[in-house]
Amino acid sequence: MEGCYWDREIETIPREDLLRLQLDRLNKTLQIAKHSPFYRGKIPEFVSDLDALKDIPFTTKKDLRGSFPHGMLAVPLERIIRLHSSSGTTGTATVVYHTKHDIDNWTELVARSMYMTGVRKHDIFQNMMGYGLFTGGLGFHYGSERIGALTIPASSGNSKRQIRLMRDFRATVIHVTPSYALHLYPLFAEEGLNPRDQLQLRIAFLGAEPYTEETRRRIEDLYGLDAYDSYGLSEMNGPGVAFECPMKNGMHLWEDHYILEAMHPKTGKMLRDGEEGELVLTTLARNGMPIIRYRTGDVATIFPHKCPCGRTHRRISRIKGRSDDMLIIKGVNLYPMQIEKVIMDIPEVGNNYLIEIERVDYLDSINIKVEIAPETFHGSFDELEHLKKKIVDNLKTEILIQPKVTLVEPGSLPRSEGKAVRVVDKRKE
Amino acid sequence: MASQNTVFVENKPGRLSKIARVLANSNINIRAITIADRGEYGLINILTNDPDKTHEVLTREGFSASRKHVIGVIMKDRPGALADVTEYLHGNAVNVSNAYGFILREGDMAVLILEVDDYERALKVVHTGGFHTLTLDELGDH
Repeated sequence: MEGCYWDREIETIPREDLLRLQLDRLNKTLQIAKHSPFYRGKIPEFVSDLDALKDIPFTTKKDLRGSFPHGMLAVPLERIIRLHSSSGTTGTATVVYHTKHDIDNWTELVARSMYMTGVRKHDIFQNMMGYGLFTGGLGFHYGSERIGALTIPASSGNSKRQIRLMRDFRATVIHVTPSYALHLYPLFAEEGLNPRDQLQLRIAFLGAEPYTEETRRRIEDLYGLDAYDSYGLSEMNGPGVAFECPMKNGMHLWEDHYILEAMHPKTGKMLRDGEEGELVLTTLARNGMPIIRYRTGDVATIFPHKCPCGRTHRRISRIKGRSDDMLIIKGVNLYPMQIEKVIMDIPEVGNNYLIEIERVDYLDSINIKVEIAPETFHGSFDELEHLKKKIVDNLKTEILIQPKVTLVEPGSLPRSEGKAVRVVDKRKE
Repeated sequence: MASQNTVFVENKPGRLSKIARVLANSNINIRAITIADRGEYGLINILTNDPDKTHEVLTREGFSASRKHVIGVIMKDRPGALADVTEYLHGNAVNVSNAYGFILREGDMAVLILEVDDYERALKVVHTGGFHTLTLDELGDH
């Protein structure tokens, strides 16, 4: 089956031409990246073939944190027109800088991806993902406008309003987290609507958190639409890194913009297609902040076979998990270390805490149990309530979501002999 | 001058009975006990015949206990006694954050325990009004 291509030439480019293009762009990237304080002296000026990549050291999340704020900038700051930064205080924040050219390329990739699934000018796209520093919002927004679709910047939350927007403006395409799609479904009945029969939805882009094939099918059935999986990360722009085509069997990763490798997270050995490993990506057309051999922390498999849709860019499987301890809660990435930093910074808190995560009504719910420090307990409710509020407020500032905090007695949380178990994830999928 | 022990406990089964047994094992006599429930956790206020020992024993057993000075106003065990005391306090603008009562000697003596914001001032008001306040001795066994 042949799809319709946003850019037929590049999407169906023969492999040898693609590899030549990659080599050319890699060399251009090396020339730009050498201007950044971080890469200066660490990378070659020129490589004669793509094999040389394996001799270039990896770039890690830790490197990004360590070079915050300007260490990886490769051009003068005046050329930067946008930045996206992760949450986090000193030591945990990362930032990605974009020039006009970078934003333009990112937009092209998202438009190409959306077009591949069937989005057209006459579509009405409701973007139900958070705007702001989160790249999922603006990324899809720009891509949709590039196609010429009517773009509704709904952002996330406010369920009643989301439903009314869909109804009043006859949305045909939505971008949403799978858990929110399921959470929203029962609320349609309250508005007297059956989304399957009474709305015009044709396509949904599900992202920002991992989910199963079963969940995708369930959402497709409930809403009467086609749901497509996609992959992105802010270090590689945001959405638009890899996307499913109408075959819905793996996501095409745009190899004209990224060099894709897979490594064994423990041994560091580079893997062949078909072997599950941590994805390592290199930007090929980024000027503001090129990143070379970035360890994404995402574990997946690269499919070796050609796709019947005709696109020659290799596909990756669903993301199977993380090679580190990063958590995804309500579509937001966070590290237990961020929570620990905030909690331990508050003197009235004791020495032990536990992060419990579960799914309630399809939505992720996080409960952080915190032991109080016995010497700071003075027998007053106000004091305890004040402490609890302080913990919640400080956490919300750091991790951007509002957790539930439960104060518990000192010594009541399980203690372990070896490494402390800080996270209990009760979600099953 | 009376001293109350306040214990922070999670709202799960067995906390109260554990506290009671721990105190029993140290031969401590509980004179009054109240629980304020805040859903996930609660505060248990305990008045015993030996507040120092109570605090020591509870802390040793791993509980989060805190001592607080409270005023124990002595009243006659008769109808109207509480009304007289509380009207007097109200008339003198004594702000009470927590209060509970118990019988010390049936038919004779009752006690109103008060947690107040301004302890010194409240004590003065109570004494000026001709009321007696509870001593440690009185909390002991009769």
